[in-house]
Amino acid sequence: MMDAPRPDHQLGDNLVEIRDLSVTFETGRGPVRALRNVNLDVPRGRILGIVGESGSGKSTVIWAMLRLLAENGAVTGGRIDFNGRDLLQLDADALRAFRGAQAGVVFQDPMTSQIPVKSYLQQFLDIAYRQKASRAEKIAHAIAMMRRVGIPDPEQRIAQFPHQFSGGMRQRTGIAMALLMHPDLVIADEPTTALDVTMEAQVIHLLRELQREFQTTMMIVSHNLGLVAELCDEIVVMYAGEVVERGDIQSVFANPSHPYTRALIDCDPARVLERTRILPTIPGELPNLRHPPRACVFVDRCPHAFARCREEKPRLNKADEGHVAACHLLDGVRPVMHAAAPAPAQDEVVPAIAGDVAPLVAVRNLAVSFQVRGPVAALLNPGLKTSIDILVDVSLDLKPGETLGLVGESGSGKTTLGRAMLGLVKAQAGSVTFKGRELIGLGEGELRPLRQNMAMMFQDPIGSLSPRQTVKSLILEPFDVHRPASGNRDALAVRLADMVNLPRDLLARYPHQLSGGQARRVGVARALALEPDLIIADEPTAGLDVSVQGDVLNLMRRLQTEHGLTYLIISHNLPVVRHISDRLAIMYLGRIIEMGDATAIFARPAHPYTRALVDGIPRPDPTQRRRLVSIEGEVPSIARRPQGCEFNARCPHATDLCRAEMPAQQTLGDGRMVRCHYPLID
Amino acid sequence: MSAIPSDSAPARREAEGWIKLRRLLANWQGMTGLVLVLLFFASAIFAPLVATHDPFALDIPARLSGPTLEHWAGTDQLGRDTYSRVIYGGRVALQVAAIGISVSLVFGLLLGMLAGFGPRWLDNFLLLLFDVVRSFPTIVMALAAVALLGPSLNLVLAIVIVTTIPGYARLVRTATLALKNTEFILAERALGVGTARILWRHVTPNVIGPMFILAAMDVPVVVTVEAGLSFLGLGVLPPTASWGSILNEGYLLIRETPWPVVAAGVPLVLTTLGFTFLGEALRDIFDPRLGKGR
Repeated sequence: MMDAPRPDHQLGDNLVEIRDLSVTFETGRGPVRALRNVNLDVPRGRILGIVGESGSGKSTVIWAMLRLLAENGAVTGGRIDFNGRDLLQLDADALRAFRGAQAGVVFQDPMTSQIPVKSYLQQFLDIAYRQKASRAEKIAHAIAMMRRVGIPDPEQRIAQFPHQFSGGMRQRTGIAMALLMHPDLVIADEPTTALDVTMEAQVIHLLRELQREFQTTMMIVSHNLGLVAELCDEIVVMYAGEVVERGDIQSVFANPSHPYTRALIDCDPARVLERTRILPTIPGELPNLRHPPRACVFVDRCPHAFARCREEKPRLNKADEGHVAACHLLDGVRPVMHAAAPAPAQDEVVPAIAGDVAPLVAVRNLAVSFQVRGPVAALLNPGLKTSIDILVDVSLDLKPGETLGLVGESGSGKTTLGRAMLGLVKAQAGSVTFKGRELIGLGEGELRPLRQNMAMMFQDPIGSLSPRQTVKSLILEPFDVHRPASGNRDALAVRLADMVNLPRDLLARYPHQLSGGQARRVGVARALALEPDLIIADEPTAGLDVSVQGDVLNLMRRLQTEHGLTYLIISHNLPVVRHISDRLAIMYLGRIIEMGDATAIFARPAHPYTRALVDGIPRPDPTQRRRLVSIEGEVPSIARRPQGCEFNARCPHATDLCRAEMPAQQTLGDGRMVRCHYPLID
Repeated sequence: MSAIPSDSAPARREAEGWIKLRRLLANWQGMTGLVLVLLFFASAIFAPLVATHDPFALDIPARLSGPTLEHWAGTDQLGRDTYSRVIYGGRVALQVAAIGISVSLVFGLLLGMLAGFGPRWLDNFLLLLFDVVRSFPTIVMALAAVALLGPSLNLVLAIVIVTTIPGYARLVRTATLALKNTEFILAERALGVGTARILWRHVTPNVIGPMFILAAMDVPVVVTVEAGLSFLGLGVLPPTASWGSILNEGYLLIRETPWPVVAAGVPLVLTTLGFTFLGEALRDIFDPRLGKGR
């Protein structure tokens, strides 16, 4: 194949050199050519970020390097040189010596990548088996490493098991394990995806510090441009199994030269600082990798495609010093590049919501607790609590036609609140009224007719669809349940599919045959089928690629104006929620701690926690890296709520008053509600 | 189907079915199992065509003969053709297996879903019931029942059904419990879908697959239970032939001729092997938790 002109590196300054790497997965329906002639270098002592959406092959690169491809995958060509040695030629013993000792891996989800039945001590010793040192020395070394990554009391905690650690601590320990043997290379696969925003900022900071301290080379694989911009020195952008752009991080972000990179950066909701209601998207879909296109892989989705793009595969053309992109536009005349996606249309006139309209939904002092111990256990241990409070004293109003964004980290109770409002979770106290009618205490039979008016979208786009039903029967199900015999089913199905821009030929498919974005559209169609007044959307963009996120949000936005819907959008992703919400409510440990106008909250957060959330968003702009971690510590367990203000242990402004007394709810000058003794604004 | 353009998906689904069938045939266990199982079914269903003699016809001059051209597997003490009796005995085995397994599948599915989806007390009560039934040794229970009611094929069937229901019910209950808290069941509830519809349309299709695999592996157990009971004289009544009763008669004649025991033992072994192989191959192919990489 054609060899790309590479930036002039001196021989030997790359720790890893991947040349013409091709990987094929055998599937029942024919081979999938997941990687095709991938070339990339990892310069020694630098942090390389590999970015791409799902299906780009970014993880396949690292699994091929570690020789841990799934059983049906095989490297069909190329070489992977590590310190001048081809990893693809190593035998089993040499591989074992390589993994863990020369290359450490940080996994996405520490819960599933750490052995639950072994203590951390044992897991560290298992890694250090090749170290020529006494057991005591190895343990001391492991403890030192745990202390270095910020685990308090490592001497005691090393004897504990993964389930006794919180998510952030587990990931920190995972990093300690990867670094234990002082490897030349640390590979991190989506290291912060399973973490909350405040933890993500801490882990980014930690990885940067450790890289500097140990002079390690790192490869970070992520779909999150913000993470890569914050952390990496070099970036490789992959699309559909090919490298489309690579180069110095500053140069690529300042001057994205491949239309895909450009579109990807444009689509990141964290980049759009002003509040727009229509987000940019990348139209089209990933090409089928069973028959990868001969010419440019991105041509079908590219706004700049011209005749040559359909005929000839672009070489990696030089865009700048140490920055190349596989695009014909860089070859020869260089036309001006416009923003990839059509510029967001002007914000349509937002229907003004009058202040004194009766709320569609009113939640008052709602409390939900889960029983954790039976009555017998409670009798035996009178000191122990039998239940834990998930929601404490939550009140909010939803006015007709508005969008309320409900934001919080995991464990904040935001999902429970959504479910309790629909009667899917039993509330212990308080009231929820829908159009003036009390819902708490209604039996399922009484709730059923009301469910036509209140729909819910669930977090997992594919997992929330019944797996053995076709799309058609799934989107018609609301009618089957509430309005049987409602006319021509085929016409109805087609109308619903058209409404959510779902291609009609998908109606006969099953959920597992859909992409995340398509499955999400099915979820929207189901929610909208009976034209409800209220839709509660739990993480509507979770598990979707950036380019599809905008698509789904724009669709939800359009349907809102067409049908006059009221939305409650639950999310941990502040940048996403900000663009579609009129108002925001921030939750912490089952309480709403701040609630008010979305733009105002974003511009000037009143609660220190809100500020930490706003500051914690990694921005896809390497020139604006944060120097400091915005917030320390982790969300405490709801089973052991702190005394006083529940945020006091993590709050930079906490005083004795905060540690002693729970702040009351107060209303600020701009009508914002906040629960803090010392709000940051008046 | 409908007016909706839907060419790709059913074709794709069919293709998936073909792929699984091809994988089954490529697996030597699966292939052997399938052939043996088909032989078992064919010989039982077409017994009148396959058998060379009337299973009850006496050929006194040739009694207790070894294999001859006339009597392929020899004859018993009354001169009945052992080969034909074994073929007809397969009908009894198939009848017990087919009726017994399908009835207990239906009951197991219903009771299991009830236990998994119903209130806690019902779950506990049904589990207790299943465990009580499972704790009876099958043969002892059969002995007691026969002592009360006298031997018959229906009794054998009843015992088979009662003793296999708990296994299926427990499997279904566990699968239902796992499904109960999935997002899609919650989504159905949020839509206002009633319990009956949830169970029938959304739970059943997801638990029935593993049950069929378990059923395939249970067939040999049922066949041997029938043979065992007939061997003990608690099953089918003479002169009806069953593999168990042929074994029993052959056992009494073992000093004179080994052929009845061999002739009834071989199909029993082959059927057991066939269903076990088939069940294991099916499990390997359809259970997504096995045999896949990362």
